[in-house]
Amino acid sequence: MSFDSPTWIVCPIILPLIAGLLCFLFRKNTFFIALFASLANLLSVAILLWQFLLLGPMRYSMGGWQAPLGISLRMHGPTILMLLMTAVSGLGITLYARGYFSFRIAAPKRVGRHERQERFFWPLWLLLMTALNALFLSADIFNLYVTLELVTVSAAALAALSGKPASQIAAFRYLLVSLLGSLSYLLGVVFVYKTYGVLDLQMLRQVASPGPGLQAALALMTLGLLLKTALFPLHFWLPPAHANALAPVSAILSGLVVKGSFYILFVLWFDIFASSISQNALNLMGVLGTGAIIWGSVQAIRQQRLKLLVAYSTISQLGYLFIAFPLALRGDGGQGAWAAVAFMVLAHAFAKSAMFMAAGTIFLHMGHDRIKDLTGVRKCLPLTSFAYAIAGVNLMGLPPSGGFIAKWLLLSSSLTSSQWWWSVVIMTGSLLASIYVFRVVSRLFVIPAGKSICACRPHSPLLEWPALVLAMIALLLGLIAPYPLLILETDTLVSCLLLGGGL
Amino acid sequence: MKSRINNRPKRHDPLLLLLLLLIIILATLLVKVIYNLPVGITGLGEEVASFQQRSGVVSPVTAVLLNFRSYDTLLEVMVLLLAVIGVWSLTKAPFPRKTIKTSPVQLAVVRLLAPLMCLVAVYLVWQGSHLAGGAFQGGAVLGGAGVLMLVAELPMFQQISSRPLRIGLLLGPIVFLGVALLCIVNGGELLAYPQGWAGSLLLLIESACAVSIGLALSALFVGGRPVDDLLEKKKS
Repeated sequence: MSFDSPTWIVCPIILPLIAGLLCFLFRKNTFFIALFASLANLLSVAILLWQFLLLGPMRYSMGGWQAPLGISLRMHGPTILMLLMTAVSGLGITLYARGYFSFRIAAPKRVGRHERQERFFWPLWLLLMTALNALFLSADIFNLYVTLELVTVSAAALAALSGKPASQIAAFRYLLVSLLGSLSYLLGVVFVYKTYGVLDLQMLRQVASPGPGLQAALALMTLGLLLKTALFPLHFWLPPAHANALAPVSAILSGLVVKGSFYILFVLWFDIFASSISQNALNLMGVLGTGAIIWGSVQAIRQQRLKLLVAYSTISQLGYLFIAFPLALRGDGGQGAWAAVAFMVLAHAFAKSAMFMAAGTIFLHMGHDRIKDLTGVRKCLPLTSFAYAIAGVNLMGLPPSGGFIAKWLLLSSSLTSSQWWWSVVIMTGSLLASIYVFRVVSRLFVIPAGKSICACRPHSPLLEWPALVLAMIALLLGLIAPYPLLILETDTLVSCLLLGGGL
Repeated sequence: MKSRINNRPKRHDPLLLLLLLLIIILATLLVKVIYNLPVGITGLGEEVASFQQRSGVVSPVTAVLLNFRSYDTLLEVMVLLLAVIGVWSLTKAPFPRKTIKTSPVQLAVVRLLAPLMCLVAVYLVWQGSHLAGGAFQGGAVLGGAGVLMLVAELPMFQQISSRPLRIGLLLGPIVFLGVALLCIVNGGELLAYPQGWAGSLLLLIESACAVSIGLALSALFVGGRPVDDLLEKKKS
């Protein structure tokens, strides 16, 4: 297969899928299968990126059937960024998961349980990776539903994997909420199909015109996707589900899974049906985002347990993505808001995965995650504490992190589009974020005099390094900021939007 | 207070009434929209009809499911497999410890019906190419046969070990995926069946998927993972 073959576009779907099936079949050496799949996935995404920079956006017809009859895959700027995000943090999570499970298996507690968890973790995780890649690549509104369903089932199964009653209850609630979201989305798809008679996104963009059918469809799909993305006030299921899961699973759920439904929402609002979105709807999203930032941060500050704190901070960080909505369609500020969303999604994926991994490592070594008893963890887990702090820098939005670039872009576009009130929200959010980050970091790094610190069990470097590397990637994202912007700008999507600007 | 303990909601829970109100409003709005939907949009029916010849099957439903939109079906098959993996990750199969003696009536019914249902399943899969039917229908009937045999509590079904079950569950997905990949090797797109081969390839995929779907449904009915070969070895 040559490097410019169009077939590479299916590799991010096919490779993890095959590996997932093999992991379910064989059960031995599953880590190596998963590692191979993660590496191959990263490689194929890199080739896709190269193709994209050379040849521009691409389409691929599944089964050789052109739209509207068949299903198409498409690759444009946002797709390639999301694929990169999944591939890079996916590789980190795969490595960390191995360290995590081998550490727990080595402990003589509850023999057999952790082996079982690991055995089921790999196929579920690889199939989830497949589903996410398929979601980002899909160019068909019904196929998006199928991929959402795959994401839902595998994510809920992963969330229940720890086997503790609390996590099973949370996972079951997560499953029900997600299914409700999926069904709401599906109902919206039915309206779209009844109104326009096509399912392909490109064709929908051409035929879409404002009308009651489209309004109903958009409302239903948006509601379903907001439920899945856990935007305030529909976030109630997220903290227990994310905080009670196993650490690698929390990293997957918080870092990657919520981005899947957000991506669909984003594509629907700003690409396919952009001409039918009213300013009021955009403002409503901004208001909900504000609520998410404030409420999520305040809750994070109030938490007593580390993993719950990190989970609430996810809710507040997701709020920033929605603050960008009212900024995105206003004249010259639009492009900045777009880039801000991209940076926020990428930086949050890396930083939050790293943060959950660090929290998981701390939990493993201390045996608890009560924040007030975490003093002096730096002494036995220096790398992990450092990784947590770096990830925290991202959430606060200090330079040169990706979070800083995102907030900077949001601030500047809110000022240029004379909507200054959003910038107040953004700055308040950053202030609150610094409170909940420093609440933990200050304890991790302070060693009280005359207190013996935990006796540390030996562990593989896989337990500490992936978190640190991912946190560093998020931190350095600001330094390589021009490259993601270049990828976004190569895209026809943005130019179309800018041409059709003043909506 | 007493009603709370009994886990029964209070009769006039304001939250429930509010929810009911919201649902009624939503339903009214949706009905209004449906009433106003444009008529005469036929969707993709004409497209399907015009390409029917090239799909290799006569039934339009099968053509859409396994040829025009086969990628969706490939992913749907994975959803079913994922459901089984998810259930297996939760608990062991909750079979009773003691073997229960099956009543002769039950046995007679199972002996009569189970083979018949398998035959019907084969027929449904075969029919799929020109009438309504196919892998999902055949698999559902197979699943019914599986449930019937499980309900009879025959001890041999509780002893089935994990490996043959896993192979059976993966049969459909792997055959489907294998065919899809062979299409790439052949020089086309993923799932682009070579000209003239579509009919037989579809039958192959449908048969394999029907087996896996039937097994998956039975496995979901059992509600837990089977006897585990890997763990047993470790203990002994």
